[in-house]
Amino acid sequence: MVEYTFPLDNIFAALADPTRRDILQRVREGELSVSDIAEPYDMSLAAISKHLKLLEKARLITKRKQGKERLVSVNVQGLADADEYLQQYKELWEQRLDSLSDYLANN
Amino acid sequence: MDPIKEVKFEREFEAPIQKVWQAWTDPEQLKKWWGPNDVTIPECEVDLKVGGKIRIVMEASEAMGEYAGTRWPMEATFTAVEEPTKLAYEAKAWTEGMEATTTIETVQELTLTEENGKTKLYLTAAIHKAGPDAGMAVQGMQYGYAQQFDKLAEYLK
Repeated sequence: MVEYTFPLDNIFAALADPTRRDILQRVREGELSVSDIAEPYDMSLAAISKHLKLLEKARLITKRKQGKERLVSVNVQGLADADEYLQQYKELWEQRLDSLSDYLANN
Repeated sequence: MDPIKEVKFEREFEAPIQKVWQAWTDPEQLKKWWGPNDVTIPECEVDLKVGGKIRIVMEASEAMGEYAGTRWPMEATFTAVEEPTKLAYEAKAWTEGMEATTTIETVQELTLTEENGKTKLYLTAAIHKAGPDAGMAVQGMQYGYAQQFDKLAEYLK
């Protein structure tokens, strides 16, 4: 039995929003400062901070301070939990579709 | 396509499109393939129209060991019904008695196309919400399938 490190609800709540998914994709490619993250969006810094808080709460990202900058990077463990769940969900459907295939072949 | 929260499937069946459509929409047929062998389907209702509901309850039998007696309901509302090519629905699934913590909400879309008597199936499922313990239901059902394939492997030996 797989033990998830973190509860899934915060993870999928965080992933429900397209801006947050976009931020996460960008951070996955490398560490970014909060201002770098905010740059492409037509949104206040406060709104971006709110998105980052939710991603952090879901443990999909982590923040660290470097001088005056706050740097954001991906939290591998939270993302691994989300991937793990998606993988299991996918396997469940693969098995169900195998079962449908057998049913169609025998009826 | 959003790989973080969506899964996609593509399959080809050696069956005409109408047969695949029927297997997916007729409750009596759904009961025969939807769940693993050691899972019974005590409830299966399909009201096949936009706005209509589909409800399937899976129940783990004695053979499911630690999961015996567990019930996993799934309820969905059809958002598209275009016989025999397209079916879309918004679904909710959970472990009975633990609805608050195990519910998963998905949007699923099924597309069928036929060529030379074979049917191609495309399925996407996007996960919109998951309860903190949503992983449990998936694991329980997988346990059932794992046993089923063990049995098949045993049989094929």
